[in-house]
Amino acid sequence: MRVAEKKKTYVEDIERTLYDIRDADNASYKSETGLTEEIIRDISARKHDPAWMLDFRLKSLATYNSLSLPTWGPDVSELNMDEIVTYVRPNAKMTGNWQEVPTDIKNTFDRLGIPEAEQKQSLAGVGAQYDSEVVYHSIQEDLVKEGVVYTDMETALTEHEDIVKTYFMTLVPPHDHKFAALHGAVWSGGSFVYVPEGVAVKIPLQSYFRLNAAGAGQFEHTLIIVEKGASLHFIEGCSAPKYNVTNLHAGCVELFVKEGARLRYSTIENWSRNMMNLNTKRALVEKDGIIEWVSGSFGSHVSCLYPRSVLRGEGARCEFTGVTFASKGQNLDTGASVIHAAPHTSSTINTRTISKAGGKATYRSAVKVTKHAPFSKCSVNCESLMLDSASRSDTLPVMDIEASEVDVGHEAKIGRISDEAIFYLTSRGIDEDEARAMIVRGFVEPIAKELPLEYAVEMNNLVNMELEGTMG
Amino acid sequence: MRETKTFSRIPMRTWRWLGVNDLPAPADLDDAIKKEQILVQKGQRDEIVRAFRTGGNYEVQVHLEAGAALHLVLAQLAPQAESCTCRVRVRCAADAKFAATLAEVGARHAAAELFVDLAEEGAGADVWGLYFGDGEQKLDLNYVIRQGGTHTDANMQVRGALKGHAEKIFRGTLDFLEGSSGSVGRENEEVVLLSDGVRNRSVPIMLSHEADVDGHHAVSVGKMDEDRLFYLMSRGLDLAEAQRLVVEASLAPVLSRIPDAALREEIDQFLQERITNG
Repeated sequence: MRVAEKKKTYVEDIERTLYDIRDADNASYKSETGLTEEIIRDISARKHDPAWMLDFRLKSLATYNSLSLPTWGPDVSELNMDEIVTYVRPNAKMTGNWQEVPTDIKNTFDRLGIPEAEQKQSLAGVGAQYDSEVVYHSIQEDLVKEGVVYTDMETALTEHEDIVKTYFMTLVPPHDHKFAALHGAVWSGGSFVYVPEGVAVKIPLQSYFRLNAAGAGQFEHTLIIVEKGASLHFIEGCSAPKYNVTNLHAGCVELFVKEGARLRYSTIENWSRNMMNLNTKRALVEKDGIIEWVSGSFGSHVSCLYPRSVLRGEGARCEFTGVTFASKGQNLDTGASVIHAAPHTSSTINTRTISKAGGKATYRSAVKVTKHAPFSKCSVNCESLMLDSASRSDTLPVMDIEASEVDVGHEAKIGRISDEAIFYLTSRGIDEDEARAMIVRGFVEPIAKELPLEYAVEMNNLVNMELEGTMG
Repeated sequence: MRETKTFSRIPMRTWRWLGVNDLPAPADLDDAIKKEQILVQKGQRDEIVRAFRTGGNYEVQVHLEAGAALHLVLAQLAPQAESCTCRVRVRCAADAKFAATLAEVGARHAAAELFVDLAEEGAGADVWGLYFGDGEQKLDLNYVIRQGGTHTDANMQVRGALKGHAEKIFRGTLDFLEGSSGSVGRENEEVVLLSDGVRNRSVPIMLSHEADVDGHHAVSVGKMDEDRLFYLMSRGLDLAEAQRLVVEASLAPVLSRIPDAALREEIDQFLQERITNG
């Protein structure tokens, strides 16, 4: 006999009470299910789009119809667009006064702690989107005086049309993939941030996206422009209650980091387990600019999320830090991609994935160093922890190097919680469940420490919720 | 236009724009395959050396019975004007140990697939590969070790150097199946890039459906270590000579495993000329 039987970790599904409270569906308007030209024209008219945006939507729809589903990654064939409601207007108008937000919607965000963070002055601005529309937006007065714009995309399209027209879906063109085309056709809501040259926004801005309606899609567009020498920390949070029908999130994030600018983009994603999260995020970084991604993926039934950084200017930098926790019924395909397109660019990718109770976690990445990027450096580190053998954990990184004067390193590990570590901790008087939880928390700690305090606490709570009573 | 055939496929597909999912069969080769079957019986040990000095399609099937051991040495030295494919399929029974030393240095377009099935308890694979590409050479490699049995051990070590406008894709996969508890796997690729015109794609894949495993993979791609070059040049070597020594040193752990001194010398000579003159 080679070894004694090893203990297996037993895992139950988690309690998501806080996130799963549903409001009654009081939407003032819902589009028909499915995707047709009539629906797109209807959405566009209701949103008072300028003519070019209607044209953009219709072209995107044609692109959507011409593209097929990806031949790689998680199976998304169970998504039936004929059953998805693409536009749900909540029974509320956009306001800058929290008291004017309808009670049911306000209660939802109160439960999630959104206004609390704003009141504590730990956020410089807050946006809240409920289904397809932004219901609340605010920003500190002193930032407005410095020329910082933080508003919903619809307002931006009216008040800053030239800027929107210049940048909108140029980093993620609709023909990029089927769900980018879908987004181009039906996008609604999202945040617009413009930070003028040299302005440092010292306290984070935060947008929170909540999808309440069953069988609906959320397609918010986030457009952030950080001008030369400016800096910003932007946080997005996402959640939805659980339904027995498929919901779809196909958002799009476009970040423009100009010369010497710095942008940190943090996300804690906790969509419910019936969500298809097919989100596209990209950043274009100019000379000496820095993009920092901090990404926590906990929710969703299926996720495909690989933020891409294009380092276009000499000396541009990218740091990506991500954690993914896949549990029962989840197939979370996450990672990052970086394109080094200028000399002396550098990137660091650091990820942790955990899978348990039949969950499937995939780390997928691409690092491309073009021939225009000599003297570039890239370091990738991904570690995967499997809590049981009902789960899957895969890593699929690709490095594509076309310049010789480069330094590219990749390292990955996969494994379980070591018996020695458990033995050590239990010998110090810690019970075994707590010892395992400590090890998992330690495993994600490099990610947690990159998050703002409230989010680090939220992430730890999510990890604890996942582990509670499940180890044995 | 002649339809492109697929010679081999990556075990798990990814983005199309990276061009790594499929290995196309070289367009100038027909379908004829030179096949060889190797059986090592229970408890036996063997060492087999093959050198492919002409282009074409080669296939080697290996079956190791329980407790058997084989060291398979394959050197692909086809002329630069020709194309070559090589497919090696290995099945290891309980406690069988498969060792391989693979050299891919010839042919204008070379495609190679290695699939090792560690199907039973205690089976092991120790795979060492080297490649060198220069000029307009295309190297397309796909190595997979599938770990199905308990307590299997996989080691995949690959060293390479690229020069001129050579293009290379190396996919190395460790696949831990459900039930492969107690298994370990290590994979490492080190690539030295000698010219600006090269294109190197590395795809180290690790798939796991078993928690009780220990898997590591690492890739290092880049220019030559400048400190080493500086040291060698300070001892009076010119740049080309110093480069040759550094590349040789990085390929040496693989080359030194070739038991046949004449073949080892032949590959070494082949490499030396192309690194220096290429």
